[in-house]
Amino acid sequence: MSTALKSRVAAAQRALREHELDGTTLLLAACFVPMLVFFLVVWVIPIVYALGMSLFTSPVRNPEFVGLGNYISLLGSGEFWGFLWNSIVYAVSTTALSLVIGLGLALVINQRIRGGDALRTLMIFPYLLPTLVVIFMWKFILDPNIGILNQFLVEAGLIDKPIAFFSTLEFAMPAVVITSVWKFASFAFFILLARLQAIDPDLYERARVEGATTWQAFRDITFPHLRGAILIILLVRGIWMFNKFDIIYLSTHGGPLKQTTTLPIRVYQIAFSEVNFGMATALAGIMFFLLAVVAVVYFRAFAPEKEVA
Amino acid sequence: MATSKSKSNSLVSHETQKRLQRIAVYLTALLISVFTIIPVYIMVVIAIQSPASTFAGGRVNLLPTQPSLRNFVVLLGTTDTVRYFVNSLIVTLGSTILSTSIAVAAGYGLTRFDFTGKSIAARAVLFSYMFSPIVLAIPLYVVFSTLGLLNSHFALTLALTAISAPFCIWLMWQYFQTVPIALEESAWVRGASRWRTVKDVVLPVARPGYISAAIFAFAVAWNDFTMARVVMSRDEMYTITVGASLFLDRVSIGWGETMAVSLLIALPPFLIALFLQRYLLQGFSVGGLE
Repeated sequence: MSTALKSRVAAAQRALREHELDGTTLLLAACFVPMLVFFLVVWVIPIVYALGMSLFTSPVRNPEFVGLGNYISLLGSGEFWGFLWNSIVYAVSTTALSLVIGLGLALVINQRIRGGDALRTLMIFPYLLPTLVVIFMWKFILDPNIGILNQFLVEAGLIDKPIAFFSTLEFAMPAVVITSVWKFASFAFFILLARLQAIDPDLYERARVEGATTWQAFRDITFPHLRGAILIILLVRGIWMFNKFDIIYLSTHGGPLKQTTTLPIRVYQIAFSEVNFGMATALAGIMFFLLAVVAVVYFRAFAPEKEVA
Repeated sequence: MATSKSKSNSLVSHETQKRLQRIAVYLTALLISVFTIIPVYIMVVIAIQSPASTFAGGRVNLLPTQPSLRNFVVLLGTTDTVRYFVNSLIVTLGSTILSTSIAVAAGYGLTRFDFTGKSIAARAVLFSYMFSPIVLAIPLYVVFSTLGLLNSHFALTLALTAISAPFCIWLMWQYFQTVPIALEESAWVRGASRWRTVKDVVLPVARPGYISAAIFAFAVAWNDFTMARVVMSRDEMYTITVGASLFLDRVSIGWGETMAVSLLIALPPFLIALFLQRYLLQGFSVGGLE
């Protein structure tokens, strides 16, 4: 570095110090710059780029501007509504079942039963197990040739011949749902348990003294405390299950006969099997829009941004 | 208890009612734990005994008679499992460190500095937290492919961090609010700079917060299938979940090796559940994990 440059740098540094840019402002920059750069690079730029791309035909060679053409042809096809319906069926059934099972278990463990702590630790496993491992387990259990469920059902005389659950029209969706519930019921469980443990035990004591039945205590004390958590589970878990890709892709690839093809699976197929990125990003755009609608409901219902100051 | 059915409901004594309730509670607990344990048990048993004993006599034998390491030997000897594992470790650790660092900095800044539009920032963070990985993966794929970054650890690290960072930021943002500003002020009064205060006062206090953020980021990256499937297309760059997902289609690999690799993949999450669940539950209580 030349001496002239050195002295100019030194002068600039002095000026910075004099303007008290040494501490607070630098700290401010250190706090926010990484986050802003990061969001710009991995969220804003790709999404804006993709939304732009969704207005073109597949850009492999000579992309052609079609405006909302991709969106119109997606929404105009009966296929889209079928996949939307599959997504809704999957999201609603997995969310509802997870909620019921999670609630049951949370109420049970909240009774401070013997072994409750062990049971709580146990419930964390399915949740932490990688999706792939969960799929391997259930593929084995439900396998038509060597799966133990089929072995059990046949030996018990309940069915004549083994069922290929993941590849049979009427069983594919239920099989995917059961696999998903096995993994995600603990999400509802932990959130509900946290709420239950925050309820003042005196409330139950008072209710008991006044002769309330167990059901009445549940209806008038427990349920009102859980209502907010249940709504969060329905909304947030519902969004996530609606958008779930890995479980369905790994278990059925969307088959048989598109029986379990949901919108996320379809986005992947259009992008990587049909190599039509214009159409794929348009479908992703529609899902983005659906998420935004639910998010508005979520923000209206909870104002979660008020939780941080 | 069986007799209580013959009597009218009002005659069921309080004692009996309580006992019935107790039985129902334990039955539910038993049912759910069996439902939870059986698949894990099956995985472990098949992994630690040779296929010959598992499938002896055309039936599945799930009582381990002769434990053997045969499946692990075959798995490590005939597949690229080790390389896939190394890939997974690199991107998981990278993404955990990146995500946690961004979150600690942002969380502190958002808590301690005031600016307009905070509620918009909060909504943006939560909105991206709810975002679907596959919907983000397509745009990221397009951008990475334009920049020639596909099949790189760097790109996958960024993609995984995109998924974990929003919740980590949210968690740290909430956590720093529980740290009283008086702690910092007393350090300032004694002449410590803001930087030193952050390093010596704030960070130690925030440890439980960033440990739970790091566990979350670790779990997201380690479990990921979607991002790795999209960003990595060359066999030698696969992470363990993508690499192992292709095992089922290979004739040479059976259930023994498949369950063996499952057990290896499940090990880090298992250790977290065993030793760090306190921190994990803290994460849950802040607003749920994905």
